[in-house]
Amino acid sequence: MSSFLYLYLPIAGNSVNLLSIVGLGGVVGLLSGIFGVGGGFLMTPLLIMMGIPPTVAAASDSNQIVGASTSGTLAHFRLGNVDFRMGLLLLAGGVAGGTAGVQIIKILRQLGNADFFISLTYVLMLGLIGGYMFLESLQSMRKAKRFDPTGESRYGRFVAGLPWQMNFPHSGIRLSLLMPIGLGSLVGVLSAIMGVGGGFIMVPVMVYLLRMPMHVVVGTSLFQILFTCIDVTIMQSAQNHTVDFVLALLLLVGSSVGAQVGVKLGRKLHGDHLKILLASLVLVVMAKMLFDLLAQPAVRLAYMGGH
Amino acid sequence: MTTRCGYRICILLFMLCVAGQGPALGDQAVNITAVPSEIDIGASYNGVTLRVSGTVPVGSDVVLRFTGDPIELHMREKGKVFGLLWMNREVVTFKNVPNVCLIQASRPFAELGAAAGSYRLENMREQVTVEAAGLGPDFDAPHELLRLKEQEGLCAESVGGFTLNPEDNGMQSFRGALVLPSVLAPGSYRVEAIALKGGTLTGQASVPVTVRLVGIPAWLKELAVQHGTLYGILACVVAILSGILIGLLFQSKGAH
Repeated sequence: MSSFLYLYLPIAGNSVNLLSIVGLGGVVGLLSGIFGVGGGFLMTPLLIMMGIPPTVAAASDSNQIVGASTSGTLAHFRLGNVDFRMGLLLLAGGVAGGTAGVQIIKILRQLGNADFFISLTYVLMLGLIGGYMFLESLQSMRKAKRFDPTGESRYGRFVAGLPWQMNFPHSGIRLSLLMPIGLGSLVGVLSAIMGVGGGFIMVPVMVYLLRMPMHVVVGTSLFQILFTCIDVTIMQSAQNHTVDFVLALLLLVGSSVGAQVGVKLGRKLHGDHLKILLASLVLVVMAKMLFDLLAQPAVRLAYMGGH
Repeated sequence: MTTRCGYRICILLFMLCVAGQGPALGDQAVNITAVPSEIDIGASYNGVTLRVSGTVPVGSDVVLRFTGDPIELHMREKGKVFGLLWMNREVVTFKNVPNVCLIQASRPFAELGAAAGSYRLENMREQVTVEAAGLGPDFDAPHELLRLKEQEGLCAESVGGFTLNPEDNGMQSFRGALVLPSVLAPGSYRVEAIALKGGTLTGQASVPVTVRLVGIPAWLKELAVQHGTLYGILACVVAILSGILIGLLFQSKGAH
């Protein structure tokens, strides 16, 4: 049953159809390029459906995101869409938050409530972010109202009153150093709990709380995700041996090309259109997760270690 | 006493050596050969068809069974929390689980009589031991395990695909095939031929089958397990270089 269209994956311990894996990478890469998300929240469940063990799917996906986000960051860098200063501060916060998140999960696992907490966090975060983005974008499109970053709100006054203000010329904003580090930490905690890169949380945080322009948000998010996923890939390889490099490379071929096409496509879309599409995607994933929680599973057994 | 014990050990060792030389382990009524007896998992491996042939007493039906070494599995029971949400709950430990169990019969099991029941997939329930606390009363752990293994393609039961030839010196030759899945792990396995006639066992024999990783998959697996950090760094470097290369390719085509 050897076939040139099939390739054996030594870590996943299964063979896969080359075209379906490259195609899957292409579709997720396209979304990554358009929205600036790593795509882990989509890719991992799809790989599991294709027969890849959950732990290998999640770890190998991180490895392919390293390549896809390199390609995406490069494309956005050429277009002047990467705010390196902001990206590095968010990354510093993210690393600190991620470390704290791993400890929180350890404690919850000891108490026996981790799985419930993780699932609930997923559904709540996806529902809140997706719902808010969807409604806000819809309102904005209907009224053709433009967002005014200089507008004086209670939140605006609070942010302006924080110490250590600095300029972010690439994003055209002035903010306290505490904002990106604090919010980066929060996203780090959540992404460690949820086991994802955190792009789909980071993008709304940059848009609504840091008030960065949408196109700079996408490039900067990819830049930050690149480093997060390098860290995850090396940690997973060293501790759990769950990174399937061959699988990651196949996904990467598709996703890198997809990401480049996505970046070009994203430039043609209005910021509100981008937001409403991402919100729809997040809400679909949330609905699927909620369905999985409510519907009786086909088999009432699960391997240890998965979410 | 010591001499008698030594004598017994010598006989046992002699019997083991003789058994190791022959093509099959079992009684002389059944003979079996499996091809290939060594399965190499290379880069293009996508499962393999194991061709099994041999002889059984005249008029017998044949059941082929491909099994792996018993393993211990630690899993979680999925149950309802707050009467609403399906979540992973209690830890369930299964012992003596065959990591693979593929069964093929020359006729439907219902027509093979009482003795055939011992060789069915459902019989796996009797072998497996379950250790768990606080499982729901409606939770049938061995049944759920069997369903999971069937979903993974590691346990299956099928009928047909045999060629039974006419009698020759009181014996009857047969040929059958077992389709082994691509998810088969490297290790030691055993294929058995069980001969059944009139609802009773007339003989059985088995041969070992070895599955091993070769070539690039073997090299990558060793690197990943023996030098995990180096493997992770290399995986990142290749991913970054691939990302840059694809980025440059798009740039050269005037992507922006």
